[in-house]
Amino acid sequence: MTQEIETGIRIRVKKLLDLGEVSCVIGHEHGPRGHTRPAFVYDSADAERLVWDRTCHHNLVAYVRDKIATLARGAEPGSTPRVAVVARPCDVRSLNVLIHEGQVTRESVFVVGVACPGMLDAGDPEAQDGQALHCRYCTERVPVFYDALVGDPPKVKVPDEPWPGVAEVEAMPPAERLAFWTQEFDRCIRCYACRQACPACYCFECLAEQVDPPWVSIAHRVPQKAFFHIMRAYHLAGRCSGCQACEAACPVHLPLSLLNRKIAAEVEALFGYVAGANPDTPPPLATFRKDEELPL
Amino acid sequence: MRATSHESLLAWLDTLIERSTLVAPQRVEREWLYRPVSSAAAIAFDFQRTTVSPKGYFFPETEVLLDIERRGREVVMGEPDLAGDQLLFAIRPCDARALLVLDALLVDRPPADSYYARRRERTTLVGLACPQMWDGCFCTSLGSGPADASAVDLMLYHDGDGYLVETVTDKGAALVAGVDWPEVDRPAPEPEITAEVVSVRPPDEWLAAFDEVVWQRLADRCLSCHACTYVCPTCRCFDVRDDLTAAGPGYVHVQRLRAWDSCMSPAYRRIAGGHNPRPDTAQRLRNRFFCKFCYSPRDFCAVACVGCGRCIAACPAGVDIVEVLRGV
Amino acid sequence: MHETFEPKIVGFLCNWCSYAGADMAGTSRVAYPPNVRIIRVPCSGRVDPLYVLKAFQEGADGVLIAGCHPGDCHYGDGNYHARRRYALMHRFLDFVGIETGRLCIDWVSAAEGARFAQVVAQLTENVRALGPWTGWNDAC
Repeated sequence: MTQEIETGIRIRVKKLLDLGEVSCVIGHEHGPRGHTRPAFVYDSADAERLVWDRTCHHNLVAYVRDKIATLARGAEPGSTPRVAVVARPCDVRSLNVLIHEGQVTRESVFVVGVACPGMLDAGDPEAQDGQALHCRYCTERVPVFYDALVGDPPKVKVPDEPWPGVAEVEAMPPAERLAFWTQEFDRCIRCYACRQACPACYCFECLAEQVDPPWVSIAHRVPQKAFFHIMRAYHLAGRCSGCQACEAACPVHLPLSLLNRKIAAEVEALFGYVAGANPDTPPPLATFRKDEELPL
Repeated sequence: MRATSHESLLAWLDTLIERSTLVAPQRVEREWLYRPVSSAAAIAFDFQRTTVSPKGYFFPETEVLLDIERRGREVVMGEPDLAGDQLLFAIRPCDARALLVLDALLVDRPPADSYYARRRERTTLVGLACPQMWDGCFCTSLGSGPADASAVDLMLYHDGDGYLVETVTDKGAALVAGVDWPEVDRPAPEPEITAEVVSVRPPDEWLAAFDEVVWQRLADRCLSCHACTYVCPTCRCFDVRDDLTAAGPGYVHVQRLRAWDSCMSPAYRRIAGGHNPRPDTAQRLRNRFFCKFCYSPRDFCAVACVGCGRCIAACPAGVDIVEVLRGV
Repeated sequence: MHETFEPKIVGFLCNWCSYAGADMAGTSRVAYPPNVRIIRVPCSGRVDPLYVLKAFQEGADGVLIAGCHPGDCHYGDGNYHARRRYALMHRFLDFVGIETGRLCIDWVSAAEGARFAQVVAQLTENVRALGPWTGWNDAC
């Protein structure tokens, strides 16, 4: 299955670079220790470096916007650089969010869509039949759009629990819930890996780092960490595609996607909206319906 | 060399808790982290490499440098209370060596960082030799090894179900004075060296590679997060700001805070007026490696890397410092 | 402890309706709890969720957001945006540990002085019952 995807990616990428259709391909490769990591291929001879397996957790869309900008700096005036990106269904939805928000144009990206078999758990590949949490409830196997599709769409198993983990936290008494999050946030080292790995977090200056005047103190204490994570999750309301790149990036394994899942669940329940499913639908917090009844 | 059983070691540690704060590795969810413990039973002896280095017990993530209170025309300034002894238990040889690097950078040449120096002074280091090298470890490339006792006060080695104890400094000797562990005449077990030794080039060779395109390619995948610098045992950049904690009519309370900062952030190098001498990820990533392997040895006689491998494990994008050492 | 606890509540009131409503409560001499610290904003749509979070961070025990009734916004649609934002915010804050009862969003027109008093009284009672907001304090 993943072998077929890998071969498909290499063939596509080789052709794209040979024909000069794109100047750079963003995919995955094996690092010196055998772990998969993002790879940038500029020459068709290097296409063989590209790999794909169920540990490729990075949402490569996070690199697209800056890569295009960097290439544009060195390009002829008037020419528009184009990059290809290997993307799973959730990655493509986050690309859709960027397109809707005017950060990337559809023409500047060639999407090598992956018919996704679901990923392995980033922190613990041995656990629970190996499937990563977000993949256990995902029913999307083919991206909403693509320029080329690799792999055969596998059968979808309808999940028993659409938003894993959310109900458990909701069921806690308020004091316990507060203690739970305090304990989790305490471990945070404020390294911002979650934010940097996220395609939807592209602010030039994050307000967690804004200093004049500061929204958040520079202190690495629990209130500041909580403020940052809550704020970030809220800013991703209706924009987070649930790819879980944040959680995979976290060096101390915070359950960050739990925050995003809660918001996604509410956004779907309140506004019937799924992030990035359609580039033409405005995100739920940028629009409204006059006649809607919302519980306040 | 003396020998002790596991139980006797725990009992000894429990007596020390009464005199000083005991900091030791603990299991926190999926991580091993150095945390203050209230009982020796809470120590995770099976730990490998902690996710974050113990440097925070000398150079805290956040510390109050000054406490400033103004009432009317009267201003009172106070320093934090740094009294009380710390016992850092089961520090790995690499992390202990990192403290020597920090000493060279922060204390040995004036002006010394008095906050760091005072914490260092009142802390005793009890090392625990690594039984093996783990994925990413490369301490042997930096003149050290998994059983290097050169930077601790007291060194422990796994020895069957118990431990061998080696006294290294007077501070360490004072710690075990009066303990009835028997002297034994056998050497500490030699852990197997499994990592390939990579040579670290001298500073001028690094300078010659300053403009190589390899930095651009390497930085392609760098996400500019702070993970590598925060888990690193030798990174010591910080930011200082005043936090207004309370204010009212005629009353202001301000804390001058020092908190970890990272050279990987675009904001780190930004100066008044908005200019940034290191605007690109490639320049920032290059600077991190140059700081460790070129500037520090050149200016402070200490390579600012001890081969703990934490940055390799923490990097969400797979940037590998050993690969850099090989490539340059 | 709760008997002597006086909640600190930050109220973000829209300039055109709710702030005038609070004024109306005052000029009509309607009594209401003095626990709310009012911040006048141009529109309930101007209240960034960060203001709410920041208020809690800085020691507020409760937050009130009040604006014009839906359909009456001075700027046309500000309060429709606020309505969506806080319907979501409410649930999310509860999930991370700030109980639902600490945040209130309501509509108060310039004529509804008595209603303003009622909203404030209700929120104050809710927050008083919940006790002081301690925040996510350092665990160790």
